[in-house]
Amino acid sequence: METVILLAPLAGAIICGFGWRLIGEQAGMVIATAILFLCMLLSWIVFLGHDGETSRIVLMRFIDSGTLSTDWAIRLDRLTAIMLVVVTTVSALVHLYSFGYMAHDDNWRHGEHYRARFFAYLSFFTFAMLALVTSDNLVQMFFGWEGVGVASYLLIGFYWRKGSANAAAIKAFVVNRIGDFGFALGIFALFYLTDAVSFDVIFGAAPRLAETEIAFLWTSWNAAELIAFLLFVGAMGKSAQLFLHTWLPDAMEGPTPVSALIHAATMVTAGVFLVCRMSPVMEFAPGATAFITWIGAATAFFAATVGLVQNDIKRVIAYSTCSQLGYMFVAAGVGVYSVAMFHLFTHAFFKAMLFLGAGSVIHGMHHEQDMRNYGGLRHKLPWTFAAMLVGTLAITGVGIPLTQYGFAGFVSKDAIIESAFAAGELPVFWLLVAGAAMTSFYSWRLMFMTFWGSPRGDHHTHEHAHESPRTMLMPLAVLAAGSVLAGMVWYNSFFGKEETVKAWFGIPVAEAATDASGDAAGHAPAAEAHAGGDAVHGAAALPGEGAIYIGPDNHVLHDAHYVPAWVRAAPFVAMLLGLAVAFQFYIRRPDWPAALARNQRPLYLFLLNKWYFDEIYDFLFVRSARAIGRLLWKKGDGAVIDGSINGLAMGVVPFMTRLAARAQSGYVFHYAFAMVLGIAILVTWMTLSAGGN
Amino acid sequence: MTRADLIAVLPEALLALFALTALMWGAFGGKDRIARPLLYATAAMLALLALWIGSAGGGASTAFGGMFVNDAFARFAKVTILVAAAAVLVMGEDFLARRDLLRFEYPVLVALAVLGMMMMVSAGDLMALYMGLELQSLALYVIAAMRRDSLKSTEAGLKYFVLGALASGLLLYGASLTYGYAGTTTFAGILAAVRDSTLPLGLLFGLVFLVAGLAFKVSAVPFHMWTPDVYEGAPTPVTAFFATAPKVGAMALFARLLHDAFGPAGHDWGQIVAFLAVASMFLGAVAAIGQRDIKRLMAYSSIGHMGFALVGLAAGSATGVQAMLVYLAIYVTMNVGVFAFILSMERDGRHVTDIASLSLLARAEPTAALALLILLFSLAGVPPLVGFFAKYGVLVAAVQADMVWLALAGVIASVIGAFYYLRIVYLMYFGQEGEGLDGAMSWSQRALLVAAAAVMLVGVVNLFGIEGPAAAAAAALVR
Amino acid sequence: MDELLREYLPILVFLAVAVGLGLVLMLSAAVIAVRNPDPEKVSTYECGFNAFDDARMRFDVRFYLVSILFIIFDLEVAFLFPWAVAFGDLSATAFWSMMVFLVVLTVGFAYEWKKGALEWD
Repeated sequence: METVILLAPLAGAIICGFGWRLIGEQAGMVIATAILFLCMLLSWIVFLGHDGETSRIVLMRFIDSGTLSTDWAIRLDRLTAIMLVVVTTVSALVHLYSFGYMAHDDNWRHGEHYRARFFAYLSFFTFAMLALVTSDNLVQMFFGWEGVGVASYLLIGFYWRKGSANAAAIKAFVVNRIGDFGFALGIFALFYLTDAVSFDVIFGAAPRLAETEIAFLWTSWNAAELIAFLLFVGAMGKSAQLFLHTWLPDAMEGPTPVSALIHAATMVTAGVFLVCRMSPVMEFAPGATAFITWIGAATAFFAATVGLVQNDIKRVIAYSTCSQLGYMFVAAGVGVYSVAMFHLFTHAFFKAMLFLGAGSVIHGMHHEQDMRNYGGLRHKLPWTFAAMLVGTLAITGVGIPLTQYGFAGFVSKDAIIESAFAAGELPVFWLLVAGAAMTSFYSWRLMFMTFWGSPRGDHHTHEHAHESPRTMLMPLAVLAAGSVLAGMVWYNSFFGKEETVKAWFGIPVAEAATDASGDAAGHAPAAEAHAGGDAVHGAAALPGEGAIYIGPDNHVLHDAHYVPAWVRAAPFVAMLLGLAVAFQFYIRRPDWPAALARNQRPLYLFLLNKWYFDEIYDFLFVRSARAIGRLLWKKGDGAVIDGSINGLAMGVVPFMTRLAARAQSGYVFHYAFAMVLGIAILVTWMTLSAGGN
Repeated sequence: MTRADLIAVLPEALLALFALTALMWGAFGGKDRIARPLLYATAAMLALLALWIGSAGGGASTAFGGMFVNDAFARFAKVTILVAAAAVLVMGEDFLARRDLLRFEYPVLVALAVLGMMMMVSAGDLMALYMGLELQSLALYVIAAMRRDSLKSTEAGLKYFVLGALASGLLLYGASLTYGYAGTTTFAGILAAVRDSTLPLGLLFGLVFLVAGLAFKVSAVPFHMWTPDVYEGAPTPVTAFFATAPKVGAMALFARLLHDAFGPAGHDWGQIVAFLAVASMFLGAVAAIGQRDIKRLMAYSSIGHMGFALVGLAAGSATGVQAMLVYLAIYVTMNVGVFAFILSMERDGRHVTDIASLSLLARAEPTAALALLILLFSLAGVPPLVGFFAKYGVLVAAVQADMVWLALAGVIASVIGAFYYLRIVYLMYFGQEGEGLDGAMSWSQRALLVAAAAVMLVGVVNLFGIEGPAAAAAAALVR
Repeated sequence: MDELLREYLPILVFLAVAVGLGLVLMLSAAVIAVRNPDPEKVSTYECGFNAFDDARMRFDVRFYLVSILFIIFDLEVAFLFPWAVAFGDLSATAFWSMMVFLVVLTVGFAYEWKKGALEWD
């Protein structure tokens, strides 16, 4: 069943991508979509029927070279099951949605076939993403990692007639390379130290890594710290964390379904998945996890600030995604991997829905993306409005405070904020709360500017604004249901009592470890595999047992349930604050935003220009790289290499040829002279060299 | 004069007897009418001798008090020389006959030249060396000027003679110095003198002059200047002969002298030979680019190829000599094929040798053009043709002898040299419309051209097993 | 080696005497002779006539041919002399070697005779 889930999208991609000329474009698209829905069905069966036990399904021998030997295998555990559901569900819905969204597109000329290609790319992306999440070893994961990168590149640059789309595609690819370099180095380091790439071996060796030093660059490092850091660099690139985030907003050049699938729900969360997957290593690297926490918090805050002032509807949501990914990394960083996965899971629903909703608006407004030209659309697009409202309620975290009842985002985001507090990271906690307030503000700002107020912008466009077709509304409805329910239904599984969570993730639970005090002095009754002598810790589970690993000293999950009430209420209050300000700014006094922007112009420009990251990077890296490249091209390649080769081939050699021709004068005495000269040289040379003997 | 001595030189004696008889028969019998049968008879004689010597096994033996050496090395060289000479004789017949150049002296002189070469490669004494060398050279001087009514041919003969005389003088001077300092003319005696102590300066001078004299014969830079003029001026069949058999003879003599007489001084002559090799490879490659005449081009080509063969010699090892012998055999085969084609180049009944006339040959003569293409690629050393393995062998020998720089120089020179071969190929296939060729190839020319090209292709398998005999030959020489 | 070189000492002496004698004759002419030049004396002397043309005129190529043939047989005689002088002590090898040499030479002579190289016209 898992094999079918993994390979069927590839078959769909091939059939749709290459076979549409035979079976027709529409048929190809239908087949690809049908396959994805089948996958979704199977995934839910796997997810709901999964018992938490890790199992392994070998497909084929992948690489066998020296000590590097690995299978292509599926590692099926709770993490994989969660990701399977997320990926296939969103992908299937996006496929369906694309039928409507991609039906007519002004970027293509009449008679051009682009839809089958689009669907093939989508299916290929799904395959690569599934290969990533089901992988049993790092090499295979890297394969999927790069596969989604390629698919992302192809889809961002799908409108290849648009220069900006091509530039964005290349930017995404290049920025991701930086992260991938770190990821690859991490894999190399792991292979170097453990002589294996498969997760089982690596996880088993994780405690040993923590005691190993490795020389890298100028000094030696703790192996676990270094590896965790390098892997996280890979995750930073893929998940658009601060410093490597610049590609994500630009990636919005791609078609909106792509944004929903790749740049909101699935691919960008691969980094979070990676960190959770490598939790056995992360748990032994406190420095690296602290770094992850801080990067995550900084990203959450930074992206939220930028989201405040963006005018492009998709960019607002893109920064929102960036910010939410930061939340997830904070969760992973403080050691509550289950919560990170929880937010990943719920976020996939509501963020995909927000994107698809935005796509619906864009579709209805004839590809107008600037929110300043919207307004009052709730009457024109009632269903879209309803869906977007649900999504906004979910992302801003609306629920009943101090309980576990609320929209999906309320449950999972509050869990993260509470965990951050429980982990003792107060600054992080406040950053996240501030982020929550801003999230609320910009989300409601989006809603108010789009659906309330009076129509702005092109009169003609507004007159012809229309509700989207059913193929586009259906996915919205499904995702809306998910956005409402996902948090409440799986609350206990992801963020319930410690033993519940551990059971859900297939971690063997020791009796003593359930002690409410969290004192890990209890000894596992079944003293299996404790011959090594680390019975002092008495941890129940060893690294590699279960889908995630929670270190014996890691009690954040437990402590997060016992935070003060004000902490639990803080995000909700922040949400209300953001809502109130947004209401004041955009409903009651629509002239305030402009006035504020005038008063605080430097701050406004700072935010509008995304903290000038692109400009700084352009100055620091792009220009210098281009200068180096130009230098190497013009001077190095052009002048030195081409110059020397051409000079040799077209200058020196013909010169010598002419010289030789001149020497060949035809006079016997010249020839004789050459001979005598030659023998004189030889005799002199030999005399001198023999004189040394 | 014992029976064993006579048996050792029996092939040479028979060839000499044949030449004298033929001369008398021609002078008193049929004059130039018998030239054609005599030419074929000579070719047959040479081929028979090749067969005989090639099939005769046995180890090394000396005759006439060490003056004549008959070993595997000599046999390998002799077979190559004989086969090449026979092939060149046969393919030139049509050319000479049609230009009224077919005199009965021609095959006789070729036979005498071959006799001289056979003596050269078997020389075990400086006097035997000089005798063989002069017998060869004098015969060659004459046939170079065979076309007496042609200014260029006589000029070629005269230049060759004058410069050859100078080279002979150098060689003799070297020989006398060597004799003076070693006290003997036999190679074995010189070897003993060289082995005893470090090389005395006088002996070193002798060595250098001897090398210079031989370098003239193999046309190594800077003793190469005669080559283009003589190649261009001499009648084409003679040029073909110059380019093949004498090169093998002189190169084999070179190897024999250096190893048999000066073996322990390998460090000294290795430098000289390496210098000659590098200079020849580069000059051959560079100067050939400017040529418009295919015979001159082949002259520079042969200079370059001799440079490569010298690389094998410079290595100073058995591997090097083996690579050199293999190189020579392959080089001779390629040149026989190419000259078989050049002999057929004709427009309006006149022999033309300008490269431009090869334009678009591929349209008129697809088979010949293809065969020539293969040969030219092989000459340039393009893998996987046999010519590549020839170069590869000598370069590997150089690397094994710790002369990486020499191998690198060879690679660079072969890159430069590839240009002019490829230019001909370019002309044949993509050239401009112009005055082409209209001559027809004789059966022998066509057969040799195609056979040589086929050898370049098929030989890739195992080089026709010549590596074994070449290794045996090298082992016989380098002790 | 010194042994060998010592054998060449007579030649060295001979060379020195030859050079010395030549120098003495030339120098004595320059030193002793009475010099009293007049135009008639310094003009080129050619059998009582004035010179017809430049001394570097062309010769008929047949002179060369004859001279080359002369040299060949001159050398033959140079070989024959020591052989003939020591005839009584010669081995069979030496005898037959000379016979072979003479046969080869004779064949060449027969060829050039037949080709008409010896006829002036």
